[in-house]
Amino acid sequence: MARYQEGDFAAATALVEGISPQLHRFFVAQLASRSDADDLLQETWLRIHRVRHTYRSGEPVLPWFYAIARHVRVDHYRKAMRTRAHEQRLAEISTAAATVSGEARPADDLRDLLAPLPESQREVIEMLKVAGMSLEEVARATSTSVGSVKQKVHRAYRKLRETMSAMGNRKGQSGGQA
Amino acid sequence: MTDREIDEALKRVSQTPHAVEPEFLGRIAGSIKASLQPVRRLPPTWTFACGLALTCTAVAVAGAARAGFYGIEKMSLLQRALIFPVIGILFWVAATEFVNTMIPGSRSRLSPGALLGIGSVVLVGVSGLLFRDYRTDRFFSVGMVCLLTGLLHAIPAGLLSWLVLRRGFAVNPISAGLVAGNLAGLAGVGVLELHCPNFQAFHVMVWHTAVVPVSGVAGALLAWVLHWRRGPIAEASARRTPRR
Repeated sequence: MARYQEGDFAAATALVEGISPQLHRFFVAQLASRSDADDLLQETWLRIHRVRHTYRSGEPVLPWFYAIARHVRVDHYRKAMRTRAHEQRLAEISTAAATVSGEARPADDLRDLLAPLPESQREVIEMLKVAGMSLEEVARATSTSVGSVKQKVHRAYRKLRETMSAMGNRKGQSGGQA
Repeated sequence: MTDREIDEALKRVSQTPHAVEPEFLGRIAGSIKASLQPVRRLPPTWTFACGLALTCTAVAVAGAARAGFYGIEKMSLLQRALIFPVIGILFWVAATEFVNTMIPGSRSRLSPGALLGIGSVVLVGVSGLLFRDYRTDRFFSVGMVCLLTGLLHAIPAGLLSWLVLRRGFAVNPISAGLVAGNLAGLAGVGVLELHCPNFQAFHVMVWHTAVVPVSGVAGALLAWVLHWRRGPIAEASARRTPRR
């Protein structure tokens, strides 16, 4: 990161290649489509590049990247709400329908697994359990306290337990009927 | 279903490789290459916090110098020894939090709302402790003058604070606006404590302290409006610029 700030292109390329898959997965886990995630990733890198001077060496780097990525996602969501309010409603209806119809499927990817969670819990679980960040780092990235992060994780696990148990029961019932 | 099973499910999906097309990543790297120049890094938080605290102190002293130091002249030694250090501590805490809101991924000890609430409660508490005159002569007319005086001095403090931190990047502009308004409001309170000779307890507790929340809310609203306006303007400009 320090070399990127000094204008080293090789370091910039290494960062783009190293961090982008994580950020892309973060966007996909937030229920963005693959093409939306591509757009968000590109926008995030433009933003990162513009504010790269705000990173201070010695500070953890992942919260800095994720804080900017979150900001880009929130901006994107608000923009979509403003310009496509009607389409957004339709998309939500179709997403909800997809979630309901997908409940019987095994949670074979991150997006399916985290789909029942509200946005704030989903991002915390993604950062903590998938990106491998610490509680302190997640708190920094989401501009909240460690206590708040713990509370969100606790609630997310409770919700996941309920959803996955319901899925298991449904599978058991359908297996019994077969 | 246990927590361990959920952990295992999450671990399993997190170990699945998530690939992004190398050509796409190459395009991203290429797009930043043209403007890849060395940048000057930001100084440490305490440097910014000192700058902000000094700026707000300067605004408060300059405002009181223009209007007259009647308040501090009338205060007892105990009142001076308590009020100004408390405002100084609140300046420092608000300045540090303002810097944190302007740097992505910073550690935040207090939420902007909590900072505003705690600051206001502390000011009310200190005023209630030190001023024992419970009359309320011309409560609204005199109070409104103090509120407006405080808010008028909060404006230059807010603008100067923004100048100090213009190189930062607020990941949450509304939070940053709230904290900036809080800080600027404290500068307004500083002016009032130095200038206002009205020591009626309710006057100080209500009207002097009110500068902080009113300024904080105004800062958040201003940030929201600017952020909201920037969206459509940026979109319109992007539409005018053909994409390559």
